[in-house]
Amino acid sequence: MSSASPANRAVEVLAAKLRRRQVVGSREAALETVLVLRQVVARARFSNIDQLVSLLRDVGKRLAEAQPKEHTVGNIVRKVLHNIREEYNTASSGVAASTSSKNVFSISKFVLLGQPRKQTVAPKSEATISLKENDPDDPDSFAKAIKPVLMEAIQDVLDELETVYDNVSKNAKDHIHSDEIILTIGHSKTVEAFLKIAGHYRNYTVIVAETAPSYSGHEMAQSLSSAGISTFLVPDSSIYAIMSRVNKVIIGAHAILANGGMFAISGSLLAATAARAHSTPVVVCAGQFKLTPLWNLYHEYGALDFADPSSVLGFEEGALVDKVDVVNPYYDYVGPEMVDVFITNDGDHPPSSVYRLVKESYDDDDQLL
Amino acid sequence: MPPKSSAGKEKDLTAEDDVLQAVILADSFNKRFRPLTIGKPRCLLPICNATLLDWTFESLALAGVQEIFVICRSYPELVKAAIRDSKWSKPSSGLKIVPIITAKETFSPGDAMRDIYTHGIITTDFVLVTGDLVSNIRIDEVVRAHKERRKTNKDAIMTMVVKESGAKHRTRSRGDSGVFVLDANTSECLHYEPVTGHPTKSIAHIPREVLAEHPEVEIRNDLIDCSIDVCSVEVPSLFQDNFDYADIRRDFVYGVLTSDLLMKNIYCYVAREGYAARVADTRSYDAISKDILSRWTFPLVPDNNHPSDHSYDHLRGNKYIAKDNSVSLSRTCKIGPNTLIGAHTTVADGASISGSVIGQRCTIGAGVVLEGAYIFDDTNIGAGSRVEASIIGSEVRIGSGSIVRSGCVIGNGVVLGKDARLAKFERISRRRDLSGEEADDEDDDDEWEMVEAHQESVTSLLGEGTNAVVWPQKPLDEDEDDEDESVESYNNQRLMRIGDNASDLDLSDAGSVTEDESDSDSDSDSDSDTHALSRTSSATSASLAPDASVSALHALQETAAESEFRSEVRQSLERAFAEGHSVDNAAVELKTLRMASNVPLRRVREAVVAAIIERIDVVDGDPARQRQAIGATVARWGALIDRIGGVDAVETVEVLQAHCAQSPRLPLFGQILVALYQADIVEEDDIRAWYARPASRGEGAKPGPLREGLEKCWAVGARMIEQFDEQESGDEESGEEEEGSGKSAASESSEEESEESEEESEESGEESSDEAS
Repeated sequence: MSSASPANRAVEVLAAKLRRRQVVGSREAALETVLVLRQVVARARFSNIDQLVSLLRDVGKRLAEAQPKEHTVGNIVRKVLHNIREEYNTASSGVAASTSSKNVFSISKFVLLGQPRKQTVAPKSEATISLKENDPDDPDSFAKAIKPVLMEAIQDVLDELETVYDNVSKNAKDHIHSDEIILTIGHSKTVEAFLKIAGHYRNYTVIVAETAPSYSGHEMAQSLSSAGISTFLVPDSSIYAIMSRVNKVIIGAHAILANGGMFAISGSLLAATAARAHSTPVVVCAGQFKLTPLWNLYHEYGALDFADPSSVLGFEEGALVDKVDVVNPYYDYVGPEMVDVFITNDGDHPPSSVYRLVKESYDDDDQLL
Repeated sequence: MPPKSSAGKEKDLTAEDDVLQAVILADSFNKRFRPLTIGKPRCLLPICNATLLDWTFESLALAGVQEIFVICRSYPELVKAAIRDSKWSKPSSGLKIVPIITAKETFSPGDAMRDIYTHGIITTDFVLVTGDLVSNIRIDEVVRAHKERRKTNKDAIMTMVVKESGAKHRTRSRGDSGVFVLDANTSECLHYEPVTGHPTKSIAHIPREVLAEHPEVEIRNDLIDCSIDVCSVEVPSLFQDNFDYADIRRDFVYGVLTSDLLMKNIYCYVAREGYAARVADTRSYDAISKDILSRWTFPLVPDNNHPSDHSYDHLRGNKYIAKDNSVSLSRTCKIGPNTLIGAHTTVADGASISGSVIGQRCTIGAGVVLEGAYIFDDTNIGAGSRVEASIIGSEVRIGSGSIVRSGCVIGNGVVLGKDARLAKFERISRRRDLSGEEADDEDDDDEWEMVEAHQESVTSLLGEGTNAVVWPQKPLDEDEDDEDESVESYNNQRLMRIGDNASDLDLSDAGSVTEDESDSDSDSDSDSDTHALSRTSSATSASLAPDASVSALHALQETAAESEFRSEVRQSLERAFAEGHSVDNAAVELKTLRMASNVPLRRVREAVVAAIIERIDVVDGDPARQRQAIGATVARWGALIDRIGGVDAVETVEVLQAHCAQSPRLPLFGQILVALYQADIVEEDDIRAWYARPASRGEGAKPGPLREGLEKCWAVGARMIEQFDEQESGDEESGEEEEGSGKSAASESSEEESEESEEESEESGEESSDEAS
């Protein structure tokens, strides 16, 4: 335990930061989580894989509970666990053939499991490592042997996070055509990168809704126009009115849920509904780390994350504060029927196949951390 | 004692790296929460099911504070235990918390600050907060701004955090607030005027200098004082020096800003973002609970970052229900908006709860109605009861069918029988347990006797089998007309009471007062910052007023003090001259002396000017060397005249004249004046102003050598003015002549004069000696 204490400290620090909202944004939370997990694995002492997994799950649980509204924290923990198990299975292929070994034929499972699209993680080590679990003579031998592989598996997750913008936007020019009018809302880094890359190939126009009450649309518009894209900034109230002119709505996501719906910045539902009324396609750009094995159980529209009322009603409006209840949700819930396609760093997917992506990315055991 | 020894060690640690320190005054130094605070310090009262101390720690942790000193007075053992058992004392919290126990005799925040000084724990700029703070303001940014300011201005000793709220905000105390006068550009606090709600304060006195010296001034009556102060190291020592400072705002801030001796600046940080307020009374307890529940304190809200690590589910309409499925809510109960329900609480059929906070392990009976009730842990409310806008302590049993009307405060462990009826604003506690506890406080004893004497007049029904006593609403010995002006007076306290809108207070009092209040309030609403302010100059009138009423005895004492002071100054300056102190050091010494003996500035100036003149060597018959001697002395010490705490060059000339008139150095007057002029201590305009005064001509003085001396000096001045006039006309002709040449011309002319006047003085000296013999 003493050896794990610095790592433990790092976990506590991140948990406190998440609780205090000092780490916000799905990608930043994800990055911080990977770094902490890497530290935990690097310092962990274990003599078989189950010990390591339970250690990681414990850490992941603490982090996820610290801030249940940053779903990417849990996602990253699940992803790391998945990769670690996979590495372990390939490394010890003699011991247990593969995850599918327990696959007994049944109709329900046939649909459920499907066929893995591809091996997400290629075997890292060609040379077989001699793995010996629970070695009574040298309890650390297992850890020593497998750690380099595990670190690489975690590095993969990190690399995926670091290249996510590039990978999402590599096909941007296939989605945006010349002289199109695109509507976007909020300041999603993924969408920003996507639009900027497309701007290198195409000449098109972006309409940015200003996204009250955070007004992050202002930054987005500034950033896009400084990149040489013709940009308009409009108030949120005119989204419906201009929708008939818009060719495509491109928005970001905070979390993609297992049913193909998503949580996105408040105002997204407004844009998506307007788009639906005009049959305008809604395109969502997001990294796969936002895939979350959860459903929206709480509210039909909101995402159960309410910020302070101060951006809606100033605290200095003393006389009103007592009489008005202000609801200021961070995120909207946009249902799967509102979204046409998810553009991820690993290909484009319709909402209806998100459940499969979730299935492939994470292990069933980790659904509940 | 452990705190002291550990404090010593920390000193070494903090010296190495830049640790942000905070001091929590964990005692309220008042009794507004009685009887809840019997057997428990106020900082351990829960608000939204976390103790106030936890909220304070979280606020500080959020701001990146690493080291916290908790100053506790009442029930220090409980505070220490609470800190020890909390999550904050775990190493992973990143906080280092040191409880410091002060003596029972610490009666005010000022005493606590003096205690901090004697402990010597403060090594750098620190954050001073009270132990009842709820805040999400980034205090570290305030600290950064403060440090930035300190780099250029060493006299900026404190930065107060205030929050814009509008004049009538529920969180802004009506009974105890303040008018801040700020410089619009630098947000320096120029003046602070404490405001009490009753008797209504409708006039704020702002010193004229504030308006004269600052082109743009904001006078604000819409700020919540968050009682977060970023203080420099010298703040505790200022408290040490001024032993009568009690309150940090009323005494310290007011004292520092009005003092012309300390020359310190205090700044304000007007927080635009974030939330901060302190639970100073039951009314603000109510307001801050509401603020927390309606998420103004985000991210410090029950479902996100609860300071006691409870977890709550947040449901639409700001309902917070404990997360672990331990709450049992009946199918037919109604949970209204802005409600928080703690773990293991049971709510029975038909109960209706709105705007309330319910602690852990409570039982709410069938058909109970709770509106704006704050119920602590382990309390049982019997079926059919009704509680409005009241605070109910822990382990209270309220019998079925009881009615608790708004504004009641029920202490811990009270049992009320069936069908109890509590009138508005009753305060109820358990009967005193005479056998077990020893009364550790005489104060408490008096209080209890008063409470027990009060019992006959109680109108509220407490029900059968009760163990409770009702506290008197107002102090018995206080007369109706004896209007106590202090914050703690009963009527003012009423403005800080939960559920009290004080409407009857306005009606029952002399009409003029209440009209004023409503008027001025609506005024301040409309133009937001001025509060019917009359701008009177306090500086001059204030110093005159006491003089008029001085008794003979008092005057005698004063002259004795003054003569003592004069000799002290002379000695101090002699020492300074002899040992060659720097002007700065000498100035500091003079200021201290002045403060110690409380004499007007003019006396100091007289003493300084006299000492400097006497310092000049008299060289007979060699004007050039004489001039040199004067120049050297003035150059070395002249600056001191302006460093004693105020600049008034006209007075300097006057004093110089008065001294020279009686001194053998009378002939040097002209030359000294020129030397002062050249050293920029006296300007041409000042000399003219002096010259124009009738007193300078010797009018009003008794005929005699003194008057002659004065007249001679005036004559010298007249010649100098002539010189100036010539100079000016010369300037006009030549156009571009420099000032320096003008000065040299003036000095040349005065040399001649002085030679003449020397001769004259010899005569006059003879005359005076004749008279003396």
